[in-house]
Amino acid sequence: MSTATATKKKRDFHQITKGWNVLFNILATLFSFLCVFPFVFVLIISFTDEKALATNGYRIIPEKWSFEAYEYIFQTGDTLLRSYGVTILVTVVGTLVSLVMIALYAYAVSRKSFAYRRFFNLFAVFTMLFNGGMIPTYIVVTQLLHLKDNIWALILPMAMNAFYIMILRTFYITGIPDAIIESGKIDGAGEFKIFIRLVLPLSLPGLATIGLFSTLGYWNDWFNALLYIENPNLVPLQSMLMRIESSMQFIQQNSLNSAVSLEALASMPQDTARMAMVVLATLPIIFAYPFFQRYFVQGLTVGSVKE
Amino acid sequence: MAGSFFRRFNRNKVLLLMVLPGALWFLFFSYLPLFGTIAAFKEYRFRGGFWNSLINSKFVGWDNFKFLFNTDAAFTITRNTLLYNIAFIFLGLVFSVGLAILLSELVNKRLAKLYQTSMFLPYFLSWVIVGYFAFSFLSMDRGLLNHILGYFGVDSMQWYSDPTYWPYILIFVYLWKSIGYSSVVYLASILGIDRSLYEAAMIDGASKLQQVRNITLPLLKPIIIIMTLLAVGKIFYADFGLFYNVPRDSGTLYSVTNVIDTYVYRGFKVTGEIGMSTAAGLYQSVVGFVLVMVSNFAVRKLDKDSALF
Amino acid sequence: MSKLKKRAGLALAATTALSVVLSGCGGNNNEASGSGSGSGSEKPVELIWYTIGTPQKDVDTVMAEVSKYTQEKINATIKMKMIDWGDYQQKMQVLVASGEPMDILFTSAGGFDYVQNARKGAFLELDELLDKYGQGIKDTIDPGFLSGSKVDGHNYGIPANKELPQLEVWRFNKNLVDKYQLDTSGIRTLESLEPLLKTIKEKESEVTPFGMDKNFVPYVPYDYLVTNMPMAVKLDGSDMKVVNILETDEMKSALETMHKYYMAGYIAPEAATTGSTSDLTTSGKWLLDRAQTQPLAENLWSASYGYPVTTTPASDAIITNTSVQGSIMAISANSEHPEKAMEFLNLLNTDPVLRNMVDSGIEGTHYEKIDDLHIKNLDASQNYNMPSYSLGNNMLLYLNEGDPDDKWDQFKKFNSEGKASPILGFNFDSTKVATEMTAVQNVKEQFWASLMTGTVDPATFLPKAIDEFKKAGMDKVIAEAQSQLDAWVAANK
Repeated sequence: MSTATATKKKRDFHQITKGWNVLFNILATLFSFLCVFPFVFVLIISFTDEKALATNGYRIIPEKWSFEAYEYIFQTGDTLLRSYGVTILVTVVGTLVSLVMIALYAYAVSRKSFAYRRFFNLFAVFTMLFNGGMIPTYIVVTQLLHLKDNIWALILPMAMNAFYIMILRTFYITGIPDAIIESGKIDGAGEFKIFIRLVLPLSLPGLATIGLFSTLGYWNDWFNALLYIENPNLVPLQSMLMRIESSMQFIQQNSLNSAVSLEALASMPQDTARMAMVVLATLPIIFAYPFFQRYFVQGLTVGSVKE
Repeated sequence: MAGSFFRRFNRNKVLLLMVLPGALWFLFFSYLPLFGTIAAFKEYRFRGGFWNSLINSKFVGWDNFKFLFNTDAAFTITRNTLLYNIAFIFLGLVFSVGLAILLSELVNKRLAKLYQTSMFLPYFLSWVIVGYFAFSFLSMDRGLLNHILGYFGVDSMQWYSDPTYWPYILIFVYLWKSIGYSSVVYLASILGIDRSLYEAAMIDGASKLQQVRNITLPLLKPIIIIMTLLAVGKIFYADFGLFYNVPRDSGTLYSVTNVIDTYVYRGFKVTGEIGMSTAAGLYQSVVGFVLVMVSNFAVRKLDKDSALF
Repeated sequence: MSKLKKRAGLALAATTALSVVLSGCGGNNNEASGSGSGSGSEKPVELIWYTIGTPQKDVDTVMAEVSKYTQEKINATIKMKMIDWGDYQQKMQVLVASGEPMDILFTSAGGFDYVQNARKGAFLELDELLDKYGQGIKDTIDPGFLSGSKVDGHNYGIPANKELPQLEVWRFNKNLVDKYQLDTSGIRTLESLEPLLKTIKEKESEVTPFGMDKNFVPYVPYDYLVTNMPMAVKLDGSDMKVVNILETDEMKSALETMHKYYMAGYIAPEAATTGSTSDLTTSGKWLLDRAQTQPLAENLWSASYGYPVTTTPASDAIITNTSVQGSIMAISANSEHPEKAMEFLNLLNTDPVLRNMVDSGIEGTHYEKIDDLHIKNLDASQNYNMPSYSLGNNMLLYLNEGDPDDKWDQFKKFNSEGKASPILGFNFDSTKVATEMTAVQNVKEQFWASLMTGTVDPATFLPKAIDEFKKAGMDKVIAEAQSQLDAWVAANK
């Protein structure tokens, strides 16, 4: 009794009534469940026995559990590992390259003393309004830059984005007082020094947000690989998942583990192994995103509202 | 004259150096492709490098656009792109604002945080993975959905070859992936609303619903309008991943899953005709440009700071 | 007969020996002249060779060996790039259009269309090069191939010497046929498959009874003007009329059967979007599929899958444009080394050492010799399992274990017995209707695979598809084709 009154007292008086609260909780639980369930389902499928799957299809509670799929993947694990390697490399290098380019560009166009400020601002913004489209870009990348089957084809096309420049420029204009730069100048520091010593530390939160967006973008990218990559050694994770959609051939042919015999291939758990691949490719994200969540929230609010 | 130019250049040397990498990037990845769109008016054949091919290929005028507009291809893909985007914008707005209000009203803030984290998950997954998820439900012989339908005595559906339900499936998948995330913007604004407004309303005896209608929504209105207008500017561009990966590139579904972006890509893949595919892309760029300008003009009228330029 | 066999064997052995000697000499010559003119120390040319087939693990290893050999002979090294069956057409389209560096590429009526691309200017015209560097080719390859692969009077590629007629067969996984004592003797038509499919569907839940990928098309007795485009002419030659294949009674009934099979679960539900059936063939979880055959193909298939495969015919053996142009190696119009490429093609089609290395890999690693003629695949051959038909002159190849010694004579007999299609030699020129062809192709992408694999009901989708084809300008394409065909018939009377 007393605890009930205590909680009642703690209740904010403009809170919704208990009934509504229960209903809202049910709705929120349902939607949350809906968001997480497909992953759990794929996880279950990956632990299903291949035979049981062939006869019953995908079930929430399989007739028979099995580790076969994972055993198989660890046998031919080098294919998965190589794709992991490509994805990690592309993500790390790509994020760094784009952060450097974006930060420098945004800083320069944020400086009122920069004589060509208007021009370079427009130079960036115009790309958001009009673009050549997929095919002309493809021709430039393959025929002019000759990046076909080159790891840079996975990195460069996503390195810049006029939108990020605008966000960061606003950040510099509003967040970094001119006085700081002036004081740097009085101390006799050059533009680069001012940028690195004084401006960069202050802009870390903004850079972190953009960096995380770009990390996510690189990690989840498959489109550039679809266009530019044939060499199996350069296939990133997401693209590999696309390539095994209808045939596990890609895994078999690109594993260097020659101990995988014909018989092993014949008895390979194709369907469950495919789902196991999906699980293994998703795990890093599942573990990492709750920690970085708030930066993404920040990014979204900064980006769209530009406070 | 020349002297002052050099002096000006010299003074800005370092800042120019800073924009150089980015400017080069824009040159190669934005402006040269822009120049490359002249391929839309050429019978493009590769001979001796990019410049040579672009300049020496036969000029064919508007011929490359014919295949688009002689058939109903242009109509279908334009209709699909626009209708889907309109549905995404409208339903996305309703659901994310609704979700934001719902989350803001929850009594237990810890639970609310947990919900939010779960709803965030889809945003972090790639379309390839979402495609696999969809397949585990929609596969004809194995999928969960047909299994459930079987319980109710409904015959198995051939999801991947029957276009009837795809508009709903695509809209559902889009909302599933995006609203958990997009509701955050609105939630942030709601939490920023002065609580005393609600207290005053309570004293006046306003119900919760009235409060939402008379306080929350009006205060959200500016941001809703901005977000919507920004989305309208991109209404001619579709999410390639959604329309390519989720329907598994199934031909029978093209009538309802083909959007301009996928059409350009497939046209290129199937025919290898750079000229014609570029033409389809140019059509998108031109109309897209007009729409961005219009929507930006509208945003500018409302809130100068939110405009792109 | 046996004498002949022996002589053939000896001849092959002699050629091999001779070529080894020659290559030795070649090496010496190079060294000798190297100090003199400097030409011998010239950097070897790298030839990039695109070919069809599931990419093999050991391609680079084998090509390194091949390169050693070709460097000695013609001072060129080889880089081979393989593209999977289902992707070849589209990927090559894109690679060629975007000017990807390449010297030699596989083309055929079915995969990366030979005639259309020759007309588009994708390939180098070879008449002169062939005279200059291709004498060996002219001497060895069946003249039917070289003349049949002319486009507007010119050669744009080197056809592989192989079976000339096209014979469709049903292939059976013999393990399953034996297990259930299925009777394959009366099988020929699509309809006759039903009892077999039914048995397997009932007894083996894990097996896909009827294997196919998205490129499957039921056999009808018509010859296509452009492979996999719906314009065709009846094979019996009764009328020289170009029709939309979808409007023929034969296709209509075939599609109905396909749909019946699909609904009965004989066909994989995802067949219309599946690019490759290799999962089925490696795992052996299939009962039957359809393929083009050649004499003794069963041995070839059994050897490469690791379990026995049997066949029964599904059509007559007919020489069509498709079969004559079934495997061609062209030189890219953008090749930087067309002469070297031609030299290589000449060598590939005449030199058994090179041809066999390309086909079977490295002796002792991928295969071992049983006798002068026959080889046996070793386990590692799974890492270098190449399609023989697409890699040049077949008649130079070693025989598989169990092949009769007179295999190539059987080929010659098979070739001489093939019936010619009424439109053999007619090549449709689509340049006048290019816009319509593009539109038709786009419509085809939409309907073709799902209709052909039986995924959708032809009762509703066939009229829809026909209608869409019409809207895309199919009639204009057919009219143009008809007038070209009439002119061709008149000229060839």
